[in-house]
Amino acid sequence: MARPFIQRSPMPGLGLSMGITVTMLSLVVFLPIGALLMKGASFGVFNVWEAVNRERVWAALLLSFRMSLLAALVNLVFGVLLAWVLARYRFPGRRILDAAVDLPFALPTAVAGIALTALYAPNGLFGSLAKEVGLRIAYTQWGILIALIFVGLPFVTRTVQPVVEEIEREVEEASATLGATRLHTLRRVILPMLMPATLTGFALALARAVGEYGSVIFIAGNLPLQTEIAPLLIVIKLEEFDYDGAASIGIAMLVISFSMLFAINLIQIWSRRRIGHV
Amino acid sequence: MQIEIDEISKLFGETAALHPVSLTLPSGALVALLGPSGSGKTTLLRILGGLELPTAGRVRFDGQDATGLSVQERRAGFVFQSYALFRHMTVFENIAYGLKARPRHARPPAAEIARRVARLLDLIQLPEIGSRYPTQLSGGQRQRVALARALAIEPRMLLLDEPFGALDAKVRKELRQGLRDIHDETGLTTIFVTHDQEEAMELADLVVVMSMGRIEQIGRPQDIRARPASAFVRDFILA
Amino acid sequence: MSDITQSRFRPATTEAPAARLVLILLAVAGLGVLVLAPLATVFAEALAKGVGAALHSLTAPDAWSAIRLTLIVAGCAVPLSAGFGIAAAWLVTKFSFRGKALLITLIDLPFSVSPVVAGLCIVLTFGANATLGGWLVANGWPIVFALPGIVLATLFVTFPFVARELIPVMIEQGRVEEEAALTLGAGGWRVFLTVTLPNIRWALLYGVLLANARAMGEFGAVAVVSGKIRGQTATMPITIEMLYNEYLSVAAFSMAALLAVLALVTLCLKSALEWRYADQLAATHRH
Repeated sequence: MARPFIQRSPMPGLGLSMGITVTMLSLVVFLPIGALLMKGASFGVFNVWEAVNRERVWAALLLSFRMSLLAALVNLVFGVLLAWVLARYRFPGRRILDAAVDLPFALPTAVAGIALTALYAPNGLFGSLAKEVGLRIAYTQWGILIALIFVGLPFVTRTVQPVVEEIEREVEEASATLGATRLHTLRRVILPMLMPATLTGFALALARAVGEYGSVIFIAGNLPLQTEIAPLLIVIKLEEFDYDGAASIGIAMLVISFSMLFAINLIQIWSRRRIGHV
Repeated sequence: MQIEIDEISKLFGETAALHPVSLTLPSGALVALLGPSGSGKTTLLRILGGLELPTAGRVRFDGQDATGLSVQERRAGFVFQSYALFRHMTVFENIAYGLKARPRHARPPAAEIARRVARLLDLIQLPEIGSRYPTQLSGGQRQRVALARALAIEPRMLLLDEPFGALDAKVRKELRQGLRDIHDETGLTTIFVTHDQEEAMELADLVVVMSMGRIEQIGRPQDIRARPASAFVRDFILA
Repeated sequence: MSDITQSRFRPATTEAPAARLVLILLAVAGLGVLVLAPLATVFAEALAKGVGAALHSLTAPDAWSAIRLTLIVAGCAVPLSAGFGIAAAWLVTKFSFRGKALLITLIDLPFSVSPVVAGLCIVLTFGANATLGGWLVANGWPIVFALPGIVLATLFVTFPFVARELIPVMIEQGRVEEEAALTLGAGGWRVFLTVTLPNIRWALLYGVLLANARAMGEFGAVAVVSGKIRGQTATMPITIEMLYNEYLSVAAFSMAALLAVLALVTLCLKSALEWRYADQLAATHRH
């Protein structure tokens, strides 16, 4: 006998909850994304490729991706460090520090954008310090990097922190009784245990950074071929009423995002198999 | 109330939790569904309570078809293995829940509800705990509150899923007698699920031995002990 | 002698005090530079010309209409997204059906779509040039460059918040209390209101809090669909951008400070929930 699509159950509300879920998901998510894909289809696959395969678009996509990758790498290192410090050490101000990790989630991106710009502009607090050593941050790729590090900061910390808290102390003690130094235990026992969660956090931070707009455009300078990110290019196309062009870049970004989502899921399946949890 | 189970089967996906089973339980009996885990005894109990729909077969209460009756309409006093007390409600509110859930015309007035809850608290011999929360109770107290909550709706039968499973040996003995007393006092047809053959043999009038979704034997404890119907039953009751 | 051995003893699960200190200092310095410095900058720039100038800029008519619009948008989008989250969590945790894992992935989908792309999708669906959008405009229901479009864009980006808070909590709590209520004769709505809702209320509040912060602060998606009409479709973040581009630094940062205060309040409430009701939140929020 074939497995039924829905297991019958006396629990009430199946129709209502499914109705609300499917209707809203369709209206808010599927319909708009479908419209984007339809636009691409009616424009033609070849034309979409033509619209994307231009120097300025490639430069923007590559810039978005390269900067996101760098920012996610920085966040990976700093995020694991933060997670360890917050989960393991008790010191005055720990609670404030712990709450501050979530600030990039809570602070609107436009606010972060203008604040970072003010801070790193040549006449700003950090910008003037950088100028002393001959470095320009705001309105260069450095500025984009800083903004993307800011928005991606919480992801690695928040995925790794619960895992650190769940590590059984006995595993570390076992390593120590076998003669391992603390550094050896950290490197060979702890870090491998944190690896799956770290990768998940890394992928989340990367996905977020690739699509980021608000915190970047103020500090980026937005020079074509140099500091122009892909989402901004969509906005520019829309302002020129070039809907086909905007849709083409949008589809390219959607493909990149979904590949990342797919990768995240693979990582999670893989790590669940190896370690038993994410 | 007499309960008749007629060729009931249950599939979960492609695995059969119950092969067609048939069984008639006389009104007012205290029945044990006895078997190892995975024998289908809890599934059968949940089907009787209306928490699970059978894949095929019929259930009759006093000769009337009850298969399509909703959980609410069954009025089965159900005691869950984990007791499922509402954590955010006091003991009083837990016991009163079923009465307050009745439609307005059938709902007793507040004073009457309070009186009935007090009587049930007396029945389970915990008259003082009405204002406490479930987390402030011991395991044995929780079990008795769950029993009182099930009795409050004036059930047509009492269904208990491993009622003594989570308790230590001493409390278990006390509560067994408690269940026997409550059964004798209310005269309700009572069915409890257990994997403990000693508990089943000692407490029940009628024992139904189950294994792998099938009924192995039905009988009075002394009859089962004297004449086990299969090698499985013999091994299980000796264990 | 025993004193010496004791002072050198260190549990096998901690690092040397010096290493610990270095790590803590790195964490504090990093967060200070990356997060706390920008936050402080917002308030410093807002108050650069005194409290009076900052307050004065917030009482301008355009500022007022931006604040009002942001409140209206959040007031529409957040309840809708909470309603969706509750329905989706109920569906996913109370029933067994095929494709459940796929459904959960789809609920999370908006998190992996760039807000700008989300806005673009809405323009392509409901814009005047689109089939559906054109029909709606012809019938006097403009979506894009109007309030409904902003609400829709905000709904898109806040969609997963409540559902993904509730699903793990409701999986952990199981179905048994609901089943108990059903056997006691309670109907569906009564079970939800008297049993489920009290058990999930703090997780629900947590999700609503995060969704609200995102709704009030959303920039990319709203920037694309709003048309940025001053006094009409400019939300607070959009107004910040317009003021900033006009070099009205105090006005821009004053409004930014208002949103920063909202973010801080959100963080405080969130921490309070994590601290006070840890047992009723998803496992990842229990620090």
